[in-house]
Amino acid sequence: MNVSLTLEGGLRIDTKDASDWDLFRSIIHDANARKVDLASHLGELITSEVGGEDWEEYVVPDLREEFQDELAQIHASIETAAFNSEAGAGSLWIRREDAFAWYGSFNQARLALEGIHHFTQMDDLDLAHASPEQQAAYIRSDFYANIQMLLLKHVLQ
Amino acid sequence: MADTDTLTRTEESVSLDLPWNVVVHDDPVNLMRYVTYVLMKIFGYDEKKADVLMMQVHNSGRSIVWTGDREKAELYVQQLQIHQLKTTLEKAG
Repeated sequence: MNVSLTLEGGLRIDTKDASDWDLFRSIIHDANARKVDLASHLGELITSEVGGEDWEEYVVPDLREEFQDELAQIHASIETAAFNSEAGAGSLWIRREDAFAWYGSFNQARLALEGIHHFTQMDDLDLAHASPEQQAAYIRSDFYANIQMLLLKHVLQ
Repeated sequence: MADTDTLTRTEESVSLDLPWNVVVHDDPVNLMRYVTYVLMKIFGYDEKKADVLMMQVHNSGRSIVWTGDREKAELYVQQLQIHQLKTTLEKAG
């Protein structure tokens, strides 16, 4: 997989085979893997002392919709680009105007993976002894973070 | 009775006037540069101020990023949560 900047201020990601598209599809799967969805998790931070019940009723649904819209948007982009690829080799274009949805989707996935696996509490030895599933999740999380850093540095202004 | 009613109304009036803090909390996932970006975007802070607040979040675990009336504070908390930052609301002082 190669990532490059476009003249329009976006990113272009060139894939080599079908596994690259599966990696992108994992973003949505990982983001939805948490037991408590992100919107509820953030909403729980607003305690009853400061109006938590109202927050749960009026704000959390909007957050949930926003987060799901982000995932739906990138899902559509991924499937369109994958469909247009030839035997997996193709290009995924992240336009400047879509960058926030992409960044948010990667973030949802990393937040979910951290909530499940607690990678930031592990050292290298822990990771070496982790299950194949955990190691794969760590690699995906690291990939998502690297794309986020490129988006932050070059696209999100 | 009349005195009690007057006292109640006065307390309600004072409560609404108290400023509220918007507090961003540290988390192990959100990138530091992203936190700075969000603070600049939502509050219009320059990069220097946003960086100072971000470093407070990183080093102290939390930072009061804005203080003011409750209605506006709630709006800011909502916007920060849309950007996936751990954010809470608290009475100032």
